[in-house]
Amino acid sequence: MIRPLAGMARVGLRFQLAYRSDVIMTVLALIAQVFLLRMVWTSVYGGAGQARGLTLEALLAYLSLANLQAFATTPIIPLIAHFRIRTGMVFFDLSRPTGYLPQMAAFQAGHTLGGLLMLAPAVPVVLLVGTITPTAQPLGYAATLTLGYVISVMMSLLICVIGFWTLETGAISLLYRLISQFFAGTMVPLSFFPGALGVLAEALPFKYMGYVPAAIYVGHLSGGQVVQAMIVEVSWIAGLAVLLWAVWRRAHRRVVINGG
Amino acid sequence: MIRVESLTKVFRRPRTFPGPLGALRTLVTRRYDERVAVDDVSFEIPEGEVVGYLGPNGAGKSTTVKMLTGILTPTSGLVEVGGRVPWRDRSANARSVGVVFGQRSQLWWDLPLIESLRLVGALYDVPAAHFTGSLRRMCDLLGLDDFLDTPVRQLSLGQRMRGDLAAAMLYDPPILYLDEPTVGLDVLAKQAVREFIVDTNRAGRTTVVLTTHDLADVEALCRRIILIDKGRVLYDGGIDALVTAYAPPRRLVVHLADDETRTFDIAGGASVPELIGRVAAENTIRDLSIEEPDLESVIKQIYAESTR
Repeated sequence: MIRPLAGMARVGLRFQLAYRSDVIMTVLALIAQVFLLRMVWTSVYGGAGQARGLTLEALLAYLSLANLQAFATTPIIPLIAHFRIRTGMVFFDLSRPTGYLPQMAAFQAGHTLGGLLMLAPAVPVVLLVGTITPTAQPLGYAATLTLGYVISVMMSLLICVIGFWTLETGAISLLYRLISQFFAGTMVPLSFFPGALGVLAEALPFKYMGYVPAAIYVGHLSGGQVVQAMIVEVSWIAGLAVLLWAVWRRAHRRVVINGG
Repeated sequence: MIRVESLTKVFRRPRTFPGPLGALRTLVTRRYDERVAVDDVSFEIPEGEVVGYLGPNGAGKSTTVKMLTGILTPTSGLVEVGGRVPWRDRSANARSVGVVFGQRSQLWWDLPLIESLRLVGALYDVPAAHFTGSLRRMCDLLGLDDFLDTPVRQLSLGQRMRGDLAAAMLYDPPILYLDEPTVGLDVLAKQAVREFIVDTNRAGRTTVVLTTHDLADVEALCRRIILIDKGRVLYDGGIDALVTAYAPPRRLVVHLADDETRTFDIAGGASVPELIGRVAAENTIRDLSIEEPDLESVIKQIYAESTR
């Protein structure tokens, strides 16, 4: 089981690194976004010391980190699955001895590793612009980020599976990306969200892909809150696993019916 | 090796409605259209045989191949490949079959060819030493060395097809399904593909099911063909027997002095010199030839009869 998945991850990694011009553009886009957010939020804060418990420095560090995380971990598999379902190439994915979902997840893991390598040159700039200093909670940060990443991949796998019904996941992927990045708090921290929007953001799993790990990094969340976040993350993963299994069974029957 | 009995596949799709609101109606409809893609098909293919599985577009060829690979489940009937029911034991079945589609590729477009081949080695868990030996054999047979490190998107169609054949055979499956493997290839590339199929069949006793519209492929590779149309088997047997049984009459083609061309069917038992004499008495002949029935004309006639 390990070797097939390692092979698929290697292809994901090579796929990410295949286009060097994309690498440069992504790095530039990330740096530009962090710069723009710094300008806007510095202006919003004016001379205020802090807002909603966050100093300007902590906020800038938070936003820079959240964006760095989002750029490195945004899933590619909905796009890959969309292309392969439409062209019928999914036939080959389905005819392998290894399952379709493990193949896609492994591809994503390799692709993410490629993304991290790709973004390495941008990290010093982002750290400098965001005035990010080492965290006091490295373990809590790494654990919540890793679990958040697993949630993100599982949500993407769900979108891949939906493609077996709709044959078209382009619009759904775009919508998902918009919603997930907004509710992950990459533009505005969740603690700034008003009323019902705040409640909704708290209830959705997207915050574990951006806000929660970044807030732990800058010390906005700590102690029991970190443990609680991890427990909720693990519950989300368990729930999504059951949902994915159930949806895949139905989708698989559909493939079998419609002929891929 | 392959046993198919009374195999039937019916596709059921939501009914589509025309008009501006048709798409919406299609989305919510509970009415379905049914289409029989494969209808009561039976055949057996012993180990080591190369069989042409032929039929016009939409005849049910690819649907049969998808059921043989386990991707589709039949509506009714039985399929056994190497003693296994493909869709029940998909993983084991996957290891015993290689598939090549002329119209789509299993190679990763953006990556060098070798990456796709390495992936196949990993997905089928081919031991490293075995993989190296297999890859060397494929490179020698298919001449891959010159473009192993070239991204697939930069390969010619012939090179890509050779890459696909290598990917399908790297793990030595005992069965190979080829769906139009020579479509769009030039004569040299077609020849290379055919030679590879002959070698693979001879060396490894690989069973080959070949789906194609190119009857030259069939004549070069197969002794037996299964003809299907509208999901049903029209003929299953040797090519020679097919030509003998269904051959249309030979034809005398006469080019006359005034640039007119006329053709005459030569009925069974008729004397050709006599026919020529009769035509020559009434016309001034510039040139003449006799057309023997070929496989294509035989198959054309069978399809024509089946649609009547």
